[in-house]
Parts: sequence; C-alpha cells; structure tokens
Amino acid sequence: MRISWMIGGAQGTGIDTSANIFGKVVSTLGYYIYGNREYHSNIKGRHSYFTLTISDKKVRSIPEKADILVSFDAETVLQHFNEIKGYIIYNEGVKGTKVETVQSMESEVAERISKQLESENLPKTVEGALESAKRRGVKLIPVNYDEIAKKVAEEAKVQLSVVERVKNVIGIAVSTKLLGINEEHLAKVAGSTFKQELYRKLNVMAIKKAYELTESVYSLPKLEGAPERYLLDGNTAVAIGKIYGGLRFQSYYPITPASDESMYIEAHQEVLMEDPKTGDKKKGAVVVVQAEDELAAVNMAVGAALTGIRSSTATSGPGFSLMVEGIGWAGMNEVPVVITYYIRGGPSTGLPTRTSQADLLFSLFAGHGEFPKIVVASGTHDEAFKDAVLTLNLAERYQTPVIHLVEKTLANSYTTVPKQDLGVGQLYADRGKLILSPPEDYARFQFTDDGVSPRAPLGKALMYYTGDEHNEYGFISEDPVNRNIIYEKRMKKLELADKEIPEEERVKVYGNVNSENVVITWGAPTGVFMDILEETKLDFALLQLRMFSPFPSRFVSKFLQGRKRIIAAEGNYLAQAGKIVKMNTGIEATNYILKWNGRPFLRDEVEEALRNVIEKDVKKVMLSGGS
Amino acid sequence: MAGHKFHWNDWCPGCGNFGILSAEQQAITELGITNNTVIVGGIGCSGKLSQYTRIPVSGVHTLHGRAIPFAVGIKLANPSLEVIVNGGDGDLLGIGAGHFVSVGRRNVDIVVILHNNGVYGLTKGQAAPTLFRGMKTKSLPRPNINDAINPVTLALASGYTFVARAYAYDVPHLKEIIKQAIKHKGLAFVDILQPCPTYNDINTKEWYDKRVYKMQDMDPVVKSESEMQEKLKKAIDKSYEWGERIPIGIFYKNELVPTYEERIKTSAPSYYDNYPAEQKIEYEKKLTTIIDPLLEERKVAEDN
Repeated sequence: MRISWMIGGAQGTGIDTSANIFGKVVSTLGYYIYGNREYHSNIKGRHSYFTLTISDKKVRSIPEKADILVSFDAETVLQHFNEIKGYIIYNEGVKGTKVETVQSMESEVAERISKQLESENLPKTVEGALESAKRRGVKLIPVNYDEIAKKVAEEAKVQLSVVERVKNVIGIAVSTKLLGINEEHLAKVAGSTFKQELYRKLNVMAIKKAYELTESVYSLPKLEGAPERYLLDGNTAVAIGKIYGGLRFQSYYPITPASDESMYIEAHQEVLMEDPKTGDKKKGAVVVVQAEDELAAVNMAVGAALTGIRSSTATSGPGFSLMVEGIGWAGMNEVPVVITYYIRGGPSTGLPTRTSQADLLFSLFAGHGEFPKIVVASGTHDEAFKDAVLTLNLAERYQTPVIHLVEKTLANSYTTVPKQDLGVGQLYADRGKLILSPPEDYARFQFTDDGVSPRAPLGKALMYYTGDEHNEYGFISEDPVNRNIIYEKRMKKLELADKEIPEEERVKVYGNVNSENVVITWGAPTGVFMDILEETKLDFALLQLRMFSPFPSRFVSKFLQGRKRIIAAEGNYLAQAGKIVKMNTGIEATNYILKWNGRPFLRDEVEEALRNVIEKDVKKVMLSGGS
Repeated sequence: MAGHKFHWNDWCPGCGNFGILSAEQQAITELGITNNTVIVGGIGCSGKLSQYTRIPVSGVHTLHGRAIPFAVGIKLANPSLEVIVNGGDGDLLGIGAGHFVSVGRRNVDIVVILHNNGVYGLTKGQAAPTLFRGMKTKSLPRPNINDAINPVTLALASGYTFVARAYAYDVPHLKEIIKQAIKHKGLAFVDILQPCPTYNDINTKEWYDKRVYKMQDMDPVVKSESEMQEKLKKAIDKSYEWGERIPIGIFYKNELVPTYEERIKTSAPSYYDNYPAEQKIEYEKKLTTIIDPLLEERKVAEDN
C-alpha cells in the first residue's frame, strides 16, 4: 500500500503546521511516512509545498505524481495540477484566478502553464488547470473555506478573524476523510497542537463540517503491531546523533539548509550524562556558538577540538568554500573535527533551498597541499544519525578532519525510523589515541608505526601547533628530511584507515547482487532505488557508496568486474561519484541517470529511467521531475 | 627535550617583537600561570611569537587573521585555560577585522595583543591598516592611499572591556599592562606600538621615544553602571590623541559586563561545573550521554 499526499501554499501561511499535523495523523495510525519539503529562498509569500508518502512498509521516496493535493491558493493548483493523479482539493474562491495575475509565480512557470492550457484549448485560469486535470481522470473536490469558517464563527459565537487560525485544518480534514481516517483521531492530533481550549473546540467544529464534504475512497485503518518509531528529519537526526556521540562544541554561521542542525543542538545544549560505573548522573553543556562567519565557525571548532573534546561545525556549499583554509590547518595539525556538509544547489549561491549532489568532488579535494581527509555520505535518516557518531569516532581515531555529506533532500525530509534502526546502545565512542596523562617530554606529532600520534588535550602538556611544516614537537621546520618523514606520517593515516575500516561498511549492496546491471549511487537517491527494488521486478544490484575517502577500491572493483551495465545515478551533471569510481578502480560507468534541477530523485521518474536504461540501453537519462 | 631546544628566531635585529615577547614571558611567569597558558598567533612576524615563547606555555600558530576564532574555541571548550592572542595590524585589523570586532560583542575572557608596526613585515613591508594615508615607508613604491584604523577606538567601539596601549621598547610598563590584561575578567586588548626596523623607517624607535608618554590623569575603571557611558566617552576621546604626544597606559576597564562564559551559563547552568573539556563522554567506549529524552520528543505515539 502506498498513497501520496501533497499540500502547497504560500510560505508562511501554515503549510508547515498543516503538513506536520497530517504526518502525525497517519504516522500515529502505525503507517510509515516519508515527507519532503520544497521551498523558495524567501521568508513569506513564495510557493512552498510538502509531498508525503504513506505506506504500511518502510518508505524512503516520494513519487512523481501524488494521489491527493490539498490547496488553498491559486498558485498551488497551477503549480501542481499536472502532478496529481487522484484528487485535487481546492478553494472554490480562486477558480477564476488568471495565471498572469499570480504575482508570486516565476514568469517561466507561468508561461509554461499558459502555453499548456492554450494547447488544450482551456482558459488560462485555475479553472482551466482543474479542467485539464479532470480530463486526465483527476477528481475535483471544491471547498468553500470561507463559508465553512463563517459558519464555524457563527456557531461558536466568535469573530471570523479568530477562526482564521483553524482554516488550515479544513484541507487536512477533507483529505483524511478521503483516506478513511476517523474524525476523532484527526481532532485529537490537531487539537494537541493548540494550547487553548477555544481553538481545540473550533478545530473540532471545522473538522466536522469538512468531513461532510466528501466520501472516503481509501481505507487507512489503524495498523496493529506497528513497532516503536521516531519521526526524524535529516537535520535533527544528525543533531541528536552528534549529541549522543559526545559532541561538546558546535559553531556555525547561519546557512540553509544546515542551520537547523545547530539550532536544534543549541535548544538542547544541556545534556545528562550517566557514569556507567557508578550510575551517577551529571549535567554537562554543549557549547554552541553562532559565529560571525564560516571562517570563524570552522576555526572555533578546530580550536575547541585542540582541548581534547569532540567538536564540529555544519554548513553548506558557500560556507564550506570559506572553511576550506581552516580544514587544511586541521589536516596539517592532525585535528579531529567534523564538518557536516549539507549540499544544496550551486555554484555560487545557486539554488539555496534546493537539493544537489554536485559538491562531492569539491568536498573530496578541498584544500591546498595534501592531507588525509575522511568523507562519509549518508543515504538515509537512520544512517545520518549513526554516521554522526561514526564521523566523530573516525575523526578522533585518525586525528583528521572528517566531512559528513548530507544533501538538502535528506536534511529537510522526514520519515518514521524504527527504534532498532538507530542502533542506540550499539553505538560506541572510539577516542583513538587520546591520552590524559602525557609524558613530560611530550611530542604532539611523535612518530609512530601507524602514523597516529598520542593526542593530549591542549593544557595537559606543553605542545605546539603550526600550519607550517613542523617537527614532532610542532615547531616549524623546513628541513627536507623531516618534511619527508612527517608528510608520510600524515598521509599514512589514510592508508591505515583504509586497512582498518571494513570495506563492507563503506559500501552497501542491495538487490540482486548477481545482476548484470549495477546502479551506483550515494546519498538520498539511495532510498529511491531501495524502494524500487522492493516494489518492482526490475533486475539490478544497487551499490551505495558511503565513504569516498578512504574509498573502498578493492570491494567496488571486484563487484563491478564483468558487469554488463554500470549505471551512475546521481544528482549532478558530471557523474562525480562515477568519476571517483573510475579514478579508484579504472572502471567506467556505461550508463547515467542524472539530475541537477534542484529537485530530489522522484520514484516514478527513476523507475522509468531505469527501465529505459536496462531494457533499451539508453546511455544517459536526464531527470527533470519536480516543480 | 630536543625538540623544545631554542632554535633560530626569525625576527630582525632590533625588532619590537623581542620586547613584546620578553614582557609576555615575564608577565606570565610572574603571575604563575605558565602551566595553563596558551599563546595563539596568526600569520606574520607576530604570529611566530607562539613558537618562540621559551617558557613552558603552549603555542598555537594558526591562520592569517584567524587567531581570534581559534582562541575563542579553545577558551570556551576549556575556560580554565589562559588564552592570549598575538597578531599584527594586518592580521587582526585587515584580514581578521571581522573577528576582531565580533569578539568584542562577546566579551570572551581572553587577551588580544596587537603588534602594531604599520606594515606587513614578513611579506616585505606592504602598508598595514594602521599606516596613515600619505605615508611612504621605504618599502612602499608610492605613498599609502588608504586611511588608518585607530585600533584603540575600534576596540572601545567593539565592546572590549579592557583597552590599553603600550610601547614595545618600554618592557617594564608593557609587562604591567599585560599582567593587568590577563587578570582582567573579560576581553582585554593591548595595542602595542612597535617599530619595524626593517620596513617602517618613519615610526622608528627615535620617533616613538620622543612622543610616547604614560597617562597620569586617566581613571579608566568603571565602578558602576552609571559611569559606564562617561568613562567610555572619555576613553574614546583620549584614543584620538596622536601626533606629537602619544598616550600609553589603560584607557578603559570595565568588569561589570558579563563575559561570554557567564552568558553561556544562563542557558546551560552546568557550564562551569562541567565544562566541555572536563566532560566524560564515554566509559570503556560506552557513550555516557542519555539520549532518551531527545528521542522521546520524536516518538510516534498516539497520545502526543
């Protein structure tokens, strides 16, 4: 079972709240959900929308066409009427609105819609768009939002303006009725978002009236035996993972879509710790600093890490560009620091609120000179949580910066994660060679067999750091002999990591491992392919790359040997992961499924592309779904 | 301690940095804080001071302009450390100007020492942000066409709660100022007038010797909220005195403004009792943070 639901409206008009209520309604019935949020770079007024998949099984993608659209304004209908296959719930009052009068819509979009309606001999209005959808078999559900609000106000004997706040629940109610969800359940969930009794009452009244408008066509009964689950978006998954993993310093400069992570940590900055030996509980602070810029953010995090604590920063492309110098210093000085890199559309400020996978090569090669760097990419929400702990461990074990890649899609989408998938209790802390009682003649960069030196917190021993080349004690040295030795010591740590980190953890395989078709992907598209594997008979193996440095060369090389089709599927133009595979294994992709329009990989378009590649051997497919 | 052995010092003979280093060594030693002091430097001649301390204090030689953020990270993670930033005028007021101003808004309990010689020494004498317009030092191909920043005024305007000026060749006075800066609760700034014998042939030792004088009539200490405004105004006025007479000494001192560390405490009361560098985040690899309440908030349950 799989139903998809969409809600749209102007940013700042309660779309977020409505989507949250709806998500809660279905997830508390025991269903799995996966929701994605799309928005413009603005505060109020521009079109924003949520797409939500509901399923009785775990789900990690959104389709290209939704079953139900909830809309209040004209733009939502115009933007999405082509993407709906079931029902459009719309506001009767906006039927007559002309395409050209919707100011908030981009002119390119308006022009496209006008042309389409013209070619279908339909008026260039909301009504025309609705008619177009109707011709394709979509059912229309008109709602007179104002009339319902007026009636509720009259019955409750309150001013109409008071009822405004519950207007959003009407659209939700019509869709939950369509889904066969009972009225009381919606009233209870929606009511919990309001503190005041009056609003709860108004909600119940509005829901009642909305329920009279339509008949149930689906049936979403309460699922019995649903496991314990958490509702997590990517930002929060990483934030909670970091706190759990012992992060105690986070600095950031505000940037979409990274800031939410830091703001979550700040809101939960005092944590409780339990000494497993004595059972004593103690409170401790996580310091979160909103820095003056990204240069400060990364260097504060690096400075904090010198004191022996777990430290990180979070940013996205434009911020990462500024951080590169600091990351180089951390590499030179063997500082464990985690940089969570939320990838959005570039170059420059690009598409600030849209997704992308185009910064992979940049993250991997960031910094002048050579230094070891670990790059991890999470594909799903539970991975994002576990990887937050993993990256903190790797940073300390190999004493080097670790870059954790999370795309906007993962950051801003949310899903229900079963408790056991988070691995709480199994996750551990690996602090590497951290020593709290260093010897008197302590040398921070002491030469060792594996290249990793014992690391003492700044203040516990006499130590020197410099971004210049240095000797074992951290003193500047340009001696060519020392340069050779210490350079090799640093670089050797990557070889050690390659030896120690199991390749199976750096790359995951799904589907028919013996198939002649292999899809190579990474990040959020992984979930889309996993869903396709579960729901179709398409024959392919899915190779999810989780670590790009150290790259699991032997595994990938062996796995790709002799395959007929190697399909690089990623959210960029250059097929960057494909290039990294070629660089490390010599094996080149044969086919490509690429997308760079700023929208996530959508399940149906990916399935179609995959069919074309596998069945018709199409070499390259450019995906263009999403509005 | 082979690696700790004193090695070649890159500073030119006669460099003001020797006086600054000497004063810092004495101040730190006399205060008895060698074991928990960290000197953080940027890039350039000043930045290398963190490598040349020669007394048992740790040194962190960072990036051009970024010494302040590094220092802030160190201090906030471990507030028991004494953190002293050394930077040149190009470092702190050019490439790092944003950090110099921003740290003022935070009043982090660290010391910022400016090696003010008007030039970028290590890259052969280009004009630094404190060099006045029209000046042509011997290293410049033509007279400087930029106006100069007044570091003392800027520090005062940015919120530094201890602001002083000293002279690199008056080591005893400089040492006292640095001691006061370290002891100050809050963010301290010391502008050190420092001749560059190689590239700045205008603001030389002879030039400064004739002009610097110790302020006698200044009472820089803010004793109550009500006199804050007035003392700050007086300090700003005084900071503009420059030319035939150049005042050195303390311009402003205010311990009534809460430090950033105290501000953290308002949202995380355990901050001082269990600051980040002291926390035990694991025991035999087992994570100690109790995460259940955060996950509980995210739990999908019908009753929420």
